[in-house]
Amino acid sequence: MTGRRNRRRAALLIAPLALFLGVFFFWPLATMLAQSVSDPAVGRVLPLTSAAIADWDGQGVPPPEIQRAFATDLHEATDDLAVGDMVRRLNSAQSGFRSLMNKTLPAVREDVDVDLASLDRKWSNPAYWQAIRGAVSPLTDRNLLATMDLERNAGGEINRMPAGSSANGAIILRTLVVSAIVTLCCLLIGLPYAMIAASVTGWRRAVLLGAVLLPLWTSLLVRTAAWFILLQDSGLINGMLTGLGIVDQPVQLIFNRLGVVIAMTHVLLPFMVLPIYSVLATIPANLMPAAASLGARPLRAFWRVLLPLALRGILSGVLLVFMTAIGYYITPALVGGANDQMISAVITQYATGSANWGMAAALGVVLLALTLVLYACYGWLSREDAVRLS
Amino acid sequence: MSHSGIRFDNVSKAYGNLRVVEGLDLDIAGGEFVSLLGPSGSGKTTLLMMLAGFEDVTSGRILVDGALVNDIPTYRRDMGVVFQNYALFPHLDIARNVAFPLEMRGMGRADIRQRVDRALEMVQLLHLRDRRPSQLSGGQQQRVALARALVFEPRVVLMDEPLGALDKQLREQMQLDIRAIHRRLGVTIVFVTHDQQEALTMSDRIAVFDKGRIQQIGTPREVYDRPANRFVAEFIGETNLLAGTVETAENGGTAVSLSDGTRIEGRSPAGLARGSAALASIRPERARLHAARPAEGNALPAQVTDILYQGSHIRVDLKGADGQLTVHLDRSAGEPAVGAPVWLGFAPDDCWIISP
Amino acid sequence: MRWLKGAYASLAVIFLMAPLLVILPLAFTSSAFLTYPIPSFSTRWFIELVDNAVWQRSIVNSLIIAPSTTALATVLGTLAALGLRGRVPFAATLRTVFLLPMVVPAVVMGVGMQVLFVRLGLVNSYLGVILAHTVLAIPFVLISVSGSLAGIDRRVERAAESLGASPVRTFTRVTLPLMMPGVLSGAALAFALSLDEVVLTLFVAGPNQRTLARQMFSTLRENISPAIASAAFIIIVGTVVVTALLFLAGRGWQRQRRS
Repeated sequence: MTGRRNRRRAALLIAPLALFLGVFFFWPLATMLAQSVSDPAVGRVLPLTSAAIADWDGQGVPPPEIQRAFATDLHEATDDLAVGDMVRRLNSAQSGFRSLMNKTLPAVREDVDVDLASLDRKWSNPAYWQAIRGAVSPLTDRNLLATMDLERNAGGEINRMPAGSSANGAIILRTLVVSAIVTLCCLLIGLPYAMIAASVTGWRRAVLLGAVLLPLWTSLLVRTAAWFILLQDSGLINGMLTGLGIVDQPVQLIFNRLGVVIAMTHVLLPFMVLPIYSVLATIPANLMPAAASLGARPLRAFWRVLLPLALRGILSGVLLVFMTAIGYYITPALVGGANDQMISAVITQYATGSANWGMAAALGVVLLALTLVLYACYGWLSREDAVRLS
Repeated sequence: MSHSGIRFDNVSKAYGNLRVVEGLDLDIAGGEFVSLLGPSGSGKTTLLMMLAGFEDVTSGRILVDGALVNDIPTYRRDMGVVFQNYALFPHLDIARNVAFPLEMRGMGRADIRQRVDRALEMVQLLHLRDRRPSQLSGGQQQRVALARALVFEPRVVLMDEPLGALDKQLREQMQLDIRAIHRRLGVTIVFVTHDQQEALTMSDRIAVFDKGRIQQIGTPREVYDRPANRFVAEFIGETNLLAGTVETAENGGTAVSLSDGTRIEGRSPAGLARGSAALASIRPERARLHAARPAEGNALPAQVTDILYQGSHIRVDLKGADGQLTVHLDRSAGEPAVGAPVWLGFAPDDCWIISP
Repeated sequence: MRWLKGAYASLAVIFLMAPLLVILPLAFTSSAFLTYPIPSFSTRWFIELVDNAVWQRSIVNSLIIAPSTTALATVLGTLAALGLRGRVPFAATLRTVFLLPMVVPAVVMGVGMQVLFVRLGLVNSYLGVILAHTVLAIPFVLISVSGSLAGIDRRVERAAESLGASPVRTFTRVTLPLMMPGVLSGAALAFALSLDEVVLTLFVAGPNQRTLARQMFSTLRENISPAIASAAFIIIVGTVVVTALLFLAGRGWQRQRRS
């Protein structure tokens, strides 16, 4: 009785947040997923053609009924914006469509019965009709294929895009490489740091933990701006290097890979230190003395006792840093050069620059999938921990 | 197999200005079971930590078998340590925990297995060899820790309040088990505890600590029956302390006159001067109650204020001339009534007189 | 060995702290460049922030958006944390789901929100930005409040009930005061997050909703000026002040309850 009442109260308390996230978090994600496979530009303007062309075998020039349906669709299309979208979409599938449509549209609008082949010889070329057939479906996998530099040819087979025409694969690879380097740097700095922090007490521990937490509480933008100041050619680091006579000329530290790695390592280091530290802190203080009393030298005691016990913290830290790094936008955008932009920057470019939401969404799907896989691993690790502790 | 003697020679330990152990001398014979007993902060654990090599010695020397060990790192001291909360490695199963010191010594696999099994058999845990420490009860973990500290046949075994986390019954069982193991192996054991009952039960000798110094070192009988000073008398067991002035002191027989003029006779260590202040210590179970003044021995008038049934004995609280007194009576002895005037009697041999 | 440890720790602390220590003094430079040495101290860049219409607008926008986000996220997050406290079926799953906004890359959310908000007419509106920021802030409130709730010994509440307090009174007199630190730090985190947010703002805000962080971001990309350092100073001081105010308010409120 009270159990049921409690449960109802809990449901009422949770409902607002569930509703809110449903509408403003999951719906946008679903929208993005839909966007990545949606391709309505052509089918929307050419409803009759879409129905008619489905039966066509794609050989030679399509029969007159299909040409007739196409002309009728164009004749009745009044929304210039939608027509513009359709032309753009068709032109991206088959170059030459733009000029062809510029010629065809006024003619068809004037006379729906005009003979297309005599209007322009391109209409006798099956490639243009195949392009229409390939584009009328409201669903498409071309954006998702393009994230891996793949495309379908006229026959519908999946092929590798010609070299140099798409950089998406390279950018995904670059994202993974940069994230891996940053993760490694964080591990190399963070593991000894966490071990030292766990081994000292009093004000020393407070300083070491404070130095990790303070940046975490400080605005990311402020920290990135600070690295901008430190790394620029006239910045403090170059000033120190030239002042000490280590180098004659300022070293290029910003707008390149080195700057991105330095700044991202700084930003993500707390995510490495804290999980490792929190695991180390739970290791009873007398285990290392115990190992020593049983005859283990310090290095062996570290290898046999401390490291195995800290392993979960290390794995959590690695996953957390890597997962956060692959989705990073601000830091690479500000301190990286053109060749250091990661997947997030490209997505932003597609969405806010060239208004290609299909491509932005498809790359978003890739990034989301990568992130969720890593998060699942992370969740599995922490659940194992909870189970072991109970 | 000979076991190692330990010598502390004028050992001190200070943290900054805080002196935890002060100029301490202590000799422990090979094969002896010595308890370091004292309240928390008395320096007993610090002494153990210095012996194990976890803490540096500020000044003085620690010798094992006549060899200085001050600068030898823990992992080469060859001492088995049983920690307060056992310090079992949570990521290793029981067998691997016990095998750890043998692996560190590069022993072969077959040897390790044989020795581990023998050690686990000794603590009756062989059937749990594949479990993780977290799957064991406190008492079982304790026994694993014991097996791990003994398996490599160390020169000395150090135990830092090893039974503190166990409940009373289990603690008493473990006391007997550890005593039996000590008798069987004959290994030197240094045992830190704050539980005086535990120290009395287990030790060959007890070193009573307070304020960084040893107050008394002796057999359980000596420290209980002949405490060196007030601290030892009060810390070990219950006692009645009566203040007075030394009247006569000659070869062991000493007389003290109490504040109300009552004269009592007792025994005392040498060196109590006539006319000096003294304390007479009478254990509650050594005193008797009488309706009338007894003809022999010491007697003090008192009035019964409370009677408490304690199972093994009956505790009687009394109001004497000088304050509260306590007597433990056999259950067979007759019970007085609350409020009744009585005489508290005790033999001179049961009255130990010390300087305050 | 000990010496090595100390040297390593010191270097790492310098690496972690240097950026914060470097940027703050530049807020007071008189120079037109973001470089050291500082020729002389001046408040000209703060005056620039206030006088320049674009900066001024961005500060006002942040002052509208951050408090609204804080309020919305704190209410939703606190309610849900209370709901998740009891024995709820699928509590662990729900919690994981509610924490997802912290995991999903902001850019991914941004694309989806942009497309959806265009359809819903929320794009280029204050409400749109506030809703987007709230989505991001909710996990932080949830974690913070759940943390302080987990620290409350259930026996204390049972004790209150055994002493005659109704469930409502138990909540207001025992649970709420005990969970207050978590609520307040959740609110402070939400505020700091909204103040600092760039990516979602980039996707859903129009030129009229440009926040201080968004303005800093474009200034860093386009024409770097010490106004950035001054803005950073304001963000840091703003976060600290809001956190302090929230905690002072919380203490005052508790004292009032006690008397």
